[in-house]
Amino acid sequence: MQGSRVLAVDLAGDSVKARNGSMVAYDGQMTFKRMSGGGEGLRGLVTRRITGEKMTVMEVQGQGTCWFAERATEINLVRLSGERLHVEASNLLCTEATLRTGTEFTGLRGASEGHGLFTTKVEGQGWAAVTSDGPAVILRVARGLPLRVDPGAYVAHTGNLKQSFRTDVTWRAVVGETGGESFQIEFEGDGLVYVQPSERRTFAGDA
Amino acid sequence: MTGPVIWDPSTLPVDDNVNPYAFSVALDGRWFLQKGKMVAYYGNISFHPIGYGALDSLISTSFHSPTHAADWVVAEGRGHMILADRSYDVNSYDLENGNLTVRSGNLLAYAPTLALKQSIIPGFLTLIGSGKFVAASNGPVHFVEPPIRVDPQALVGWADCPSPCHHFDHAYMRGVLGGVRRLTGIGGASGEEHQFEFVGAGQVLLQSTEVLMTELATGLVADEPGIPGQAPPQQGGQMRPNLGALGQQLGF
Repeated sequence: MQGSRVLAVDLAGDSVKARNGSMVAYDGQMTFKRMSGGGEGLRGLVTRRITGEKMTVMEVQGQGTCWFAERATEINLVRLSGERLHVEASNLLCTEATLRTGTEFTGLRGASEGHGLFTTKVEGQGWAAVTSDGPAVILRVARGLPLRVDPGAYVAHTGNLKQSFRTDVTWRAVVGETGGESFQIEFEGDGLVYVQPSERRTFAGDA
Repeated sequence: MTGPVIWDPSTLPVDDNVNPYAFSVALDGRWFLQKGKMVAYYGNISFHPIGYGALDSLISTSFHSPTHAADWVVAEGRGHMILADRSYDVNSYDLENGNLTVRSGNLLAYAPTLALKQSIIPGFLTLIGSGKFVAASNGPVHFVEPPIRVDPQALVGWADCPSPCHHFDHAYMRGVLGGVRRLTGIGGASGEEHQFEFVGAGQVLLQSTEVLMTELATGLVADEPGIPGQAPPQQGGQMRPNLGALGQQLGF
């Protein structure tokens, strides 16, 4: 990492997968190869087309150092050792070649984030770089310690978490007076949730 | 590289910043917060609109700005709440039997020991009493002491009692040439002909940018003679042609 908004990757013949167009500089010998469908093969390509969880990815291979950045958003490194990272495709910047990516159904929660009904999962061993608007706050969820998150501030989560969609819409919402935080995602189980100090526009307006 | 910090309710700071952009409130009771500034919470917290009947007595002591009521909620319960706003810098301030006026869009939350009142100056809110509140700014906040002139867009708020007034750069705009310059920009306008001037004892809070937060439409105060702010607040130094006595003096 260089600062918190540029990711420097040293390559020695190995490769990383990164979002198309996120390279800002490199030295040494690099080849950039566009990978259709997120490098997940034909099935992955079709799934992504259907689900709208689009992700244009390039494979960067070579010798030297390559710098990645995305609209000056904060970059958070996540170390995975076998567990699964769930992240929105638009928040995933870069993954090591050893990690597998795929699509998954999230239901109503995804829709509430304004990101469609599907999300991206990353599995395996290695580093993944996740972008967020402002440095992400990492919150632990444990048994008996549920966490509720504003859909617009959710970035990613790891571990074995059960998520459910919570509303406290009452008759007051119907007459136009709401608590303003009517829609939340509830996380239960064991894991970590990444929250950004900013809210995306969601279908629930400013909720 | 050290691993990232992982927070849980036992390690989250009590009423302090988690990082420069996020603030954690250890809630045990009630807090006022502006809608949509809560990003996550642990524990058992419910959010009530200002109009919620059971809050009547609280509202009558701590919330005196009916035109802003639609933008505020009361968080009630026990737990940890994380507040943030568009990844702007977030700071908490302690007032001790004091007063502070802040741009309405910059105020995130405050403890009910404070009373929120609408400032006479449109678009600003005044907090009176003792307690903690949380405000956001684009870039770190700087405290300066009057007398000072500040750019209207950089002003976040002011504490205690300096007297805020408009200041127009008279020398630069004097005469016909100056008037033409002012209205057309021909001949070069520096864009700094209009400032807010503060005199008196107190503190002025500035942000390190001229990016304004979006003003929330708050409606207008009751239409009574003598109440300023019946017209939308004038910002960015764009003067209307009718300047009254000042305009005549300037040769308009």
